Amino acid sequence: SAKAATPQIRSRKTPRKTPSKPLEQARARLHVSAVPSSLPCREDEFTDIFSFVKGHLIDKLWGCLYVSGVPGTGKTATVHAMLEELNTEVQEGEIPAFQTIEINGMRLTEPHQAFVQILKHLTGQKATPQHAASLLEQYFSSPRPKSKPVVLIVDELDLLWTRKQDVLYSIFDWPTKPKSGLIVVAIANTMDLPERIMMNRVSSRLGLSRMTFQPYTFKQLQEIVEVRLQGLRAFDSEAIQLAARKVAALSGDARRALDICRRATEIAERTKQKGSKGTVGLNHVEWAVEEMFCSPKIMAIRNASEQEQIFLRALISEFRQSGLEETTFEEVLKQHVSLCRLQGFTPPSVSEIWSVCVHLASSNFATWKL
Amino acid sequence: MDPENWKNEILCRDKQLSILLSLMGKNSQATPPAIFIYGHSSTGKTFLSRKIIEAKGAPQAFVNCIECQSQRLLYEDILGQLSGMLPCVQNDYARYARCETANDFVRLLKNLIANEKWEKETVYIKPLSQDQLKINVKQGVDNAERLRNMEGHILPVFLRLSELSDCNVCVILLTQIIWEKFNATSGYLDPVKINFPDYSKNELLQIMTLDAPKEYSKAFYSSYVNLLLSIFHMACRDLSELRHLALMNFPKYIEPIEKGDATEGDAHKLWRNIEPHLKKALQTVFLREVSSSQWEQYQLSDTSTLPPLLSARAHVELPFYSKFLLIAAYLASYNPAKSDRRFFAKSHGKIRQTKRMKKAETSSQLTGPKAFQLERLMAIFYSIVDVRVAPTAHIFSQISTLVTLQLLSQIGSGDQLDAPKYRCCVSLDFIRSVSRTVNFEVMKYLYEFAA
Repeated sequence: SAKAATPQIRSRKTPRKTPSKPLEQARARLHVSAVPSSLPCREDEFTDIFSFVKGHLIDKLWGCLYVSGVPGTGKTATVHAMLEELNTEVQEGEIPAFQTIEINGMRLTEPHQAFVQILKHLTGQKATPQHAASLLEQYFSSPRPKSKPVVLIVDELDLLWTRKQDVLYSIFDWPTKPKSGLIVVAIANTMDLPERIMMNRVSSRLGLSRMTFQPYTFKQLQEIVEVRLQGLRAFDSEAIQLAARKVAALSGDARRALDICRRATEIAERTKQKGSKGTVGLNHVEWAVEEMFCSPKIMAIRNASEQEQIFLRALISEFRQSGLEETTFEEVLKQHVSLCRLQGFTPPSVSEIWSVCVHLASSNFATWKL
Repeated sequence: MDPENWKNEILCRDKQLSILLSLMGKNSQATPPAIFIYGHSSTGKTFLSRKIIEAKGAPQAFVNCIECQSQRLLYEDILGQLSGMLPCVQNDYARYARCETANDFVRLLKNLIANEKWEKETVYIKPLSQDQLKINVKQGVDNAERLRNMEGHILPVFLRLSELSDCNVCVILLTQIIWEKFNATSGYLDPVKINFPDYSKNELLQIMTLDAPKEYSKAFYSSYVNLLLSIFHMACRDLSELRHLALMNFPKYIEPIEKGDATEGDAHKLWRNIEPHLKKALQTVFLREVSSSQWEQYQLSDTSTLPPLLSARAHVELPFYSKFLLIAAYLASYNPAKSDRRFFAKSHGKIRQTKRMKKAETSSQLTGPKAFQLERLMAIFYSIVDVRVAPTAHIFSQISTLVTLQLLSQIGSGDQLDAPKYRCCVSLDFIRSVSRTVNFEVMKYLYEFAA
């Protein structure tokens, strides 16, 4: 049979430019996709996961590990680094060979598609979800002396939740079988996910081997950025510190810190003056932080039309008078007309005020229901 | 196209005509993406817009939204009309294309315009001719409700159809409700709005004079219409309804002339002849209680008695116990529960309580029927029926039959078996005629009318 074509995208006509200037190089290194070979500030977590999986592989014990932490704390990156390290050890002959399967709940159209994906990776077979589930059940419960053990990485675990929880149950039930040869590493955001959404029999199968990734502190964030910029004179050290502190105070998300630094390099490039150092300073970072964290609402209100501003004032004064958070259009209309009279305008017609209201609602300043 | 020639056909719409003509311009010129025409029923919205678009000769589609219960029908109808491929016997019910979504619609419309080389011409689409709303109002369904039941993206897509398809497409929306009712939280591209105001009395006169029959002069017919309007204009300003009335009653008006009793100039005599007739018509024909053909027969036969009205014929034959059940239900609906003791118990306690209870704040005849429970209905039923009735399955099945006949209505579908609640849906006149047939004096038991 003819071999199926591998999907690929068209190649570029002109090759991509390699960054030459320090700021350009910094931008390339600060990109979220440019993951460094060794992850700074996640050494402990790395060792824990690594020893868990390695120990299980050597002892031929099968089980689950649940990894949780808020977004941008390096969960997936650490797991990937762990897999790479394991593969080098396999090549050195220290541990037996194993197979890796990765599925991501977000990339599945439907939770039951997980079975199809796992089966496809495992045997190259295509099947319907029900059929795949029974095949996998058979696969993991029968003894397979020749095949390699399997490390299954399940990212975005919470999206595999179904009402009957059969997908979660199967994934955590397979490793409990003595002949399965399966180690499951499940990744999700919330720490108490097993207790919150899973049935008792599912969460008990998941077991108690859990690991939590804490949000980065400002020192760690600073280190992450500094490691990436090693050997480049692009940033002032206070600038990095400011970005790290701002991000750590809000979320501790490393992606956010990297994005702010990249935006700061763009700002620095644009506002560069002759004779200056050409590095990213405090003011550039401040600018980038403001762009990212400030809500645009105040700006929008400031630039709203006169009647829109009057309508918002009417809304506020109506709320003050009634003490409630909700009111009818009729009441606001009265306030609007009297505010217009006070300011010496001819009050607009009801249709006009209504269109003002709809315009404000379409830009999310007010919500309304009929 | 020669709008000058229309001056005799289209009366009293000069302003709207000139606005529409100037907006549309020549076929090769760009038009506004959407025009929203609103006004009351029979103010000439459909007539005028159809006339203009047809005169233009541009590709066009007229859609009535009440015929399009799903978006697929709407899209396929428009594409079919534009391509001239409407399903019919000759083409074996073939259609232009299958079109399920707005996305497909825009793509197919673009293809169609490119294939037919219409890039230079304006394509007119007139969907949402909300005659649907007109009919719904008569049925008592809230019209805005209906609109929100349509998929939320359809109206925004039609409003920016020219932008999405990148072609010169003009969408004309006709409706009776104002634009403000169409607004959604996400906002729309505003169309050009044109109002069609109601016709004044003079304008109505001018338009209706066009109907003058050949045998009589225009001035004569005009004076007849004037008479007609003097009676009907208070109650009705709907042009089509008035035209219908004028045609219906004209034979009676000219009767004295045909008989030779009067001449065309004899205005007073004609007026005396027609006036009582028209006053009677106001009560009957306008409400369609007597059908138009019956009215014509009545005029010809010269009998002074009208056939029985629809409302007067509201008379239903019911079994004996059903009648009592219905009376009991009526009493339960319109009497407060605390007055039951006074009316139906053998010894009803102290008299002085009733004096205090006597004055109700508002009349229950005005506030409508109240809900009651099955137990209360049965209790009243047993106290008003003199003979002993066993609570058999027949009695209970009669209650559910009364519900299916819509004489009672069941409310709250929550507890069907344990505690069903009902409400009585018949009028006082109806219940009085029912109680007369079983010799029961219902007025004595009604809280408001009992002495």
